[in-house]
Amino acid sequence: MVMMADPIARQDSVRVSALHALAYCPRLFYLEEVEELYTQDAAVFAGRRLHVELEQQEDAQWQDLYLESEDLGLRGRLDALRTRSGQLIPYEHKRGRAHRDEANQPQAWDSDRLQILAYACLIESALGTPVAEGRIRYHADNVVVHVPLTDAGRAEVRQAIAAARALRQSDLRPPVTVNERLCARCSLAPVCLPEEARLAHDREWEPVRLFPADDDRQVVHVLEPGSRVGRTGEQLKVARLNQPVELFPIRQVAQVVLHSYAQISTQALHFCADQGVGVHFISGGGRYLGSFDTRQGSIQRRIRQYQALTDGAVCLRLAQRLVMCRGQGQRKFLMRGQRSASPAVQAALKPTIAQMQAVLKQVDRADSLATLLGLEGKLAALYFGALPLLIGEKVPPELRFDGRNRRPPKDRFNALLSFGYALVFKDVMNGILTVGLEPALGFYHQPRSQAAPLALDLLEIFRVPLVDMTVMASVNRGQWDVAADFEVRGPQVWLSEVGRHKFVELYERRKEETWKHPKLGYALSYRRWFELEVRLLEKEWMGEGGLFAQLVLR
Amino acid sequence: MAELKHWYMVCYDIRDPKRWRKAYRLLEGYGERLQYSIFRCWLSQRDRERLRWELEKVLAAEDSLLLVGMCDRCVQRIPSYNRPESWQVRGDRFRIL
Ligand code: SF4
Repeated sequence: MVMMADPIARQDSVRVSALHALAYCPRLFYLEEVEELYTQDAAVFAGRRLHVELEQQEDAQWQDLYLESEDLGLRGRLDALRTRSGQLIPYEHKRGRAHRDEANQPQAWDSDRLQILAYACLIESALGTPVAEGRIRYHADNVVVHVPLTDAGRAEVRQAIAAARALRQSDLRPPVTVNERLCARCSLAPVCLPEEARLAHDREWEPVRLFPADDDRQVVHVLEPGSRVGRTGEQLKVARLNQPVELFPIRQVAQVVLHSYAQISTQALHFCADQGVGVHFISGGGRYLGSFDTRQGSIQRRIRQYQALTDGAVCLRLAQRLVMCRGQGQRKFLMRGQRSASPAVQAALKPTIAQMQAVLKQVDRADSLATLLGLEGKLAALYFGALPLLIGEKVPPELRFDGRNRRPPKDRFNALLSFGYALVFKDVMNGILTVGLEPALGFYHQPRSQAAPLALDLLEIFRVPLVDMTVMASVNRGQWDVAADFEVRGPQVWLSEVGRHKFVELYERRKEETWKHPKLGYALSYRRWFELEVRLLEKEWMGEGGLFAQLVLR
Repeated sequence: MAELKHWYMVCYDIRDPKRWRKAYRLLEGYGERLQYSIFRCWLSQRDRERLRWELEKVLAAEDSLLLVGMCDRCVQRIPSYNRPESWQVRGDRFRIL
């Protein structure tokens, strides 16, 4: 009974479940159908389980059936089709409760009603048998709602199909629904960010923290050379020399970070890709090497990114925001240090802070990326020139520094900064890949060897809060062993394995700390912030801008 | 919407060794084994439903399955009347090996 259709018509036809989404929220339809974003929330799995349970029930009076009608431009899979006194009746099973009207009578929800009508029309058109009604069974309150198929219903289905096709051709992502209750039950809320989108349109609006969840899966860093990461069953297995094997349930892992020469098996790589676990490689010298990731974003998203980021004006605006964000962060960090410093240091910091403010004022007026680069250079020079003043008196000379250098770092302080930036870069990259943007197309940094420009752009936001502050605090607290934690090779300085271990720990702890977002008004951990910032960036060219790069410490 | 997570004890009695093995492997991907047929898992509602669905595909009618959700208070009380190793506290959100 399965109807095969030719591939061209197939592409053109609309899935019945997509009509359901459309009736629920046009934006949901758009995110799924055009941007190809799906997230599976609890309800999706519970629905599937219901189906497995139904399948296992003895009286297999029902069957599942795939139908397609070229005439209607509709296709779909029926939950069940029964014959009742010579009449074909499509059934739909829903886990939840029915809608109740004023008389407390069970009714179908609008989107469910359209869906069952669509199935009824599909049967009529594909099988050529008239259908009088469809039925929806709501399992939570165990009621069956009958939905008669009338001419008005048939017209409604045709209209919905036409609307779906039109929306599929559209370049505009529809706005968030006005009915907030829908969002609370929507599986795509974590990527749609309805609260933030509403905020972008209306600054007075109070968000109710619908914000997507924190990913509290573990980040596993494998530092010991000679370690091997493999797969066993549904677990990742890390084998080290002379140590017991460590097992990690795959669903509790967010990222695997392989430092220096740790090995990973092909099976484990496939497994990670399958489960949405990021795999990242960092060299023994603390340089970010790359990621293994198959979470390619939807092509639509990337086309939008190309369209936006090949527009010079858009790039300039975003770059201004970025330079402002980082520059303000640097300045605020110096101001913080100033508060607790000796009068002499306070006096020494003062002119720098004032000069930085003067430079920051020019950022908004910069009319090219080149000008902006110049301003950023000035800010960095002022900042790194003053940063040594924040180092406490008790810190040994080996840990002092006078200015930023890299590739390779020439002193311990710079070695710490470099390693830290590599870790942030890795997390930024993970965020970009999770969201599905193209890391190679940025708006500020020009494509260079190796480093992905978009990741370099976003890195700017996180440098000060996650690395500079962490390094400075640990140096002042005397947490570093000048000999054991570093390896000095001629003029080059690296972190030793012990040193890297310490640093990763400090860094991961820092990521746990929370910040209150100045514009969104709620607190989040830094760990969560990477993905947030990428999503806010993506909103810049989706008509919901204004929230990107607002993270500035106070 | 925030994805709250809770501890669950997952206990099962599966009649057929092949199915038992399958369920066991599946659960290893979700949490830690406490006893022969008892796991503990730290799950969001979504994880829980996904697990339930995946288990349903493995189990047969004659098998039994019990998921017990535990509140924070229950979990805190466990050490006071159990052996110390019965419920070790969950570690950080990162591991360095
Ligand atoms: S979260 Fe709300 S606005 Fe966004 S797709 Fe879902 S229902 Fe629509």
